[in-house]
Amino acid sequence: MNRFVLRHGTQSLFALLCLLVLVFFLARLTGDPTDLYLPMDASLEQRAAFAESHGFNDPLVVQFGRYLAGLARFDFGDSLFQGRPAIDAVLAAFPVTLKLAGITLALALSLAILIGSLAAWRPRSVFDRIASMLTIASASAPDFWVAIVAILVFAVSLGWLPTSGMGTAAHWIMPVGVLMVRPLGLLTQIVRAAMIGALASPYVKTARAKGAGKSRIIFVHGLRNAMLTVVTVAGDQAATLINGAVVVETVFGWPGIGNLMIQAIQQRDFAVLQACILVTALAIFVMNLLIDIAYSRLDPRIRNA
Amino acid sequence: MSLGWRLLLAAAAALPAVSPAWAQGASTDVVIVLETQPDQLDPCQASKSQVGKVIKQNVVETVTEIDPTTGQVNPRLATEWSQVDDHTWRFKLREGVSFHDGTPFNAEALKHSIERTMDESIDCEIRVKYFGGLTLEVTPVGDYEVEIKTSTPTPILPTLMGTVVAMSTATPKGEITRDPIGTGPYRLEEWTPGQQIVLTRTDDYWGDQPAVTKATYIWRSESTVRAAMVASGEADIAPNIAVQDATDPEMDFSFLNSETSRLRIDAEIPPLDDRRVRLALNYATDREGMRGTIFSDKVIPSTQHVVPGINGHNPDLVPYPYDPEKAMELLAEAKADGVPVDREIILIGRHNLYPNSQESLQALEAMYEAVGFNITLKMTEAAEWYDLLFKPYAEDRAPNLFQEQHDNNNGDAVFTIFVKYHSDGGQSTFSDAEVDDLIDRGGQATGEERTKLYQQAFKRIHEEIVPDVSLFHMVGFTRVNPRLDFTPSIATNSELQLAEIGFNNS
Amino acid sequence: MQKSTLLALLRSDRVALVAAVWLVLIAGVALVGPEIVGKAATSIDLRARNAPPFDFSRDWVHWLGSDSLGRGILARIFLAARTTLGIALASVLVSMIVGGVLGIVAGLSRGRLGKVIMRSMDVVMSFPSLLMALIVLYVLGGAPANIVVVLAITRLPVYVRTARAEVLEIRERAFISAALVMGARPFHLALHHITPLVLPTLLIIGSLDFAYVMLAESALSFLGMGVQPPSITWGLMVAEGRGYLASAWWLAFWPGLFIMLTALAANLLAGWFRIANDPTLRAAQGDASHA
Repeated sequence: MNRFVLRHGTQSLFALLCLLVLVFFLARLTGDPTDLYLPMDASLEQRAAFAESHGFNDPLVVQFGRYLAGLARFDFGDSLFQGRPAIDAVLAAFPVTLKLAGITLALALSLAILIGSLAAWRPRSVFDRIASMLTIASASAPDFWVAIVAILVFAVSLGWLPTSGMGTAAHWIMPVGVLMVRPLGLLTQIVRAAMIGALASPYVKTARAKGAGKSRIIFVHGLRNAMLTVVTVAGDQAATLINGAVVVETVFGWPGIGNLMIQAIQQRDFAVLQACILVTALAIFVMNLLIDIAYSRLDPRIRNA
Repeated sequence: MSLGWRLLLAAAAALPAVSPAWAQGASTDVVIVLETQPDQLDPCQASKSQVGKVIKQNVVETVTEIDPTTGQVNPRLATEWSQVDDHTWRFKLREGVSFHDGTPFNAEALKHSIERTMDESIDCEIRVKYFGGLTLEVTPVGDYEVEIKTSTPTPILPTLMGTVVAMSTATPKGEITRDPIGTGPYRLEEWTPGQQIVLTRTDDYWGDQPAVTKATYIWRSESTVRAAMVASGEADIAPNIAVQDATDPEMDFSFLNSETSRLRIDAEIPPLDDRRVRLALNYATDREGMRGTIFSDKVIPSTQHVVPGINGHNPDLVPYPYDPEKAMELLAEAKADGVPVDREIILIGRHNLYPNSQESLQALEAMYEAVGFNITLKMTEAAEWYDLLFKPYAEDRAPNLFQEQHDNNNGDAVFTIFVKYHSDGGQSTFSDAEVDDLIDRGGQATGEERTKLYQQAFKRIHEEIVPDVSLFHMVGFTRVNPRLDFTPSIATNSELQLAEIGFNNS
Repeated sequence: MQKSTLLALLRSDRVALVAAVWLVLIAGVALVGPEIVGKAATSIDLRARNAPPFDFSRDWVHWLGSDSLGRGILARIFLAARTTLGIALASVLVSMIVGGVLGIVAGLSRGRLGKVIMRSMDVVMSFPSLLMALIVLYVLGGAPANIVVVLAITRLPVYVRTARAEVLEIRERAFISAALVMGARPFHLALHHITPLVLPTLLIIGSLDFAYVMLAESALSFLGMGVQPPSITWGLMVAEGRGYLASAWWLAFWPGLFIMLTALAANLLAGWFRIANDPTLRAAQGDASHA
């Protein structure tokens, strides 16, 4: 088991390194931030002096060496625009995204288990058909569009919810709701399929025949069997959630990692961009590692490999 | 099935009734929703509009203060000033003023502020924007007077001092600070990057005590959202909303915002090196068609790149009328002379340069194609746009029209005319000895002569050179909650003085 | 499976039928729509700026309202259909073909090549695809071809992994082992014996992926990193309409609805296709319906 986890771990670390190199050079292909940073009226001499003093004129390899040397000392560089260490900016933004994604995933998972199980209880019943239709629809919904329609309806027209931003609990309803739409659709379908399989298994049939209560059959016997599949898919969804979070943060003006990264890309604030990617990739790496460990304990085939 | 329905209904019913708990706090607190968050709050960046809107004149104050409508220089932290000789000025300072950290504002403090601002090891925008190539030597004369020597004769030094802010001597030199300590009526209480900035009123301000006790700054990039936030009471002031969101005359104030929009014509590349082609572009531009639709009906068709009220603005120039026939004639004439008028011309635009900027370009593209131009629209992000704005331009560039907007709220045409039109300017696209000469002489002159020389330069540029399609003096809309007594003005672009805000019910 | 039985199956499932009809309609719009609306999709009329929908006295292209430059929204949707569907289709095809080939190679190769392919897929998988696409498109610019490449790359791992897994299973089958023993050349083997077996699975994944890729392209355009004007896609139309949310909701609403309906139809049909192609699933569905 340890060897399996270790091997996956080193592979992911290697992937992370490739990513860093890629991003470092890709980002610099777009030019340097001199013109963006200095006011429009700055003279050519001022621009040249600025680029020189920030090392933008050095060969890329030299700049990369400097970056790696910094990394070795856990120095991620300073944000040019914010005038503070890039890692500070990233560490301030990351918990926002993590919380948003975490709450959303937990809610989506619980709702998916509830709806999916009930739908699986009597496949092709009216409830199942409607639930299936709705979940496929929600899996097909463009999240950015759902977000702006939600703002239009609930904030601008009805005035029930704040338009955007974070602060009170009311601020969380729309972002979490929007971010949940697609994973909820996918997860419900998965739960439903897994539950149909589980409910058809001999020992659930036995429990049914013995007259066990409906909720007991579903949530104790059936769910236990279906859980492994569901957790696998939910794990995959966690990384995808970051994609959705980028969109949701942009629309609702949340100071999360997605917003920060888009801003860093547009400003060519390289240090922040690299720190963002490093932290995000590390988080995903840790998550995958945890999933690997969980698998290696749950699944006998991997345990023995 | 029935169980499923029951559970779902129960879940729906359990959703709490939502009350607008996110709305207002105390009645003398205000919430201001900006377009973008300031990345820094260093006093020496106060000239950046997103920084200035928060701290300028609220947290940190300027030495002199410029009236944006007349260009006149008024006292602020300096009470009076006089010129000693070509290179030397003296400023008398206000007494009894102290910084938020308790240290007094005096000649030493001002010396520290100016030296820190001029320090080349940090990239202060005030230095780069207003003091390029100029060095200042500050000598205290007693506690409340300073003598400033400039490296070149600077007749507009009092105007320039309207950009310089005073900061406590505790502000470290050589590094960007995130803790601005000034003399203003408000101090920085809280700054959560990405989320909000809070200013609170101080008790020992030297001037009159303002009515607002606490100001919270938040930011949303969508104009629609900003406007809705003021309408719903989530916020009190939303600067710079788009024309289509300014639908309520009760709340929405429009004002000339000192910005002027234009298309810069790359007059060095055929066919745009031919004056007739450049004139044709101007005649093909339906300014009236765009006014009241894509742009507000309050914008003013412009003839030059500075707004009326700026020293040097020439009021006698007239905008080119919309005359597509004439444009076609000019093009045909040029074509007959062998000018390659069919060549593809790139119209370079920038996302969100101003509200509806992309729509305006698509409209312009259609107008130019209607008279026979071959236009291709290319939208850019800020970074790419800046690359193309400045010299050196690419040698092999295609003929292009370049969308830009420029604001000059510093009272004098010099902040515009050199960069944009002098052959040595960083953004000029033509070179004309006569224009250069007028600009050079204007820069050295003072008073009426300076005004006259700049006016002559603008006349020649507009009528003879035609290096741009001048579009509009732009209008900004600011939405203000009716509970506030506040009228946004031209200055709201770069600063938002909380001291000017009153309350209607209190 | 025979074509005729597929059609018969389709006719018996009303939902799938509706989805198929919608997709055919949209495909038709993408094929000939831009020519049908012609100049109406691009000519500007500032007096009709933001004209509201359901004014049936006007030309049919304005029935869903007019945009901020007075162009009929239906005309814009027709024009954008080609770019939107074209990008999605091209991305799916590219990732399916390239991913399939790489997967088959990885499955057949026991050496370093296979490892390199799989490790590079791990790199692609290790990062949120939208963020990666944002960075790459910022560098390359949002030309449709670039978007196709970027989207294809982010979807590549799915095809590579599936194809490889299939190959690993197939190569253990008797006739392939026999062919290998008899010294068949790998290329010949891959082309004539393995590809036909792997293809159906890849096609199913491709059909499922279509909706995903279309939504991804729309999100990129919405964030301003995708297609740039004057090119137009549905996602970009939503982005452009966002500024008029409070004053003219129809600008952003209709194109978003088209994205949703098309993705929905693609998902429904893909799900149906998967079931129709899989005897065990079909049996399970039939079985379940009697429970």
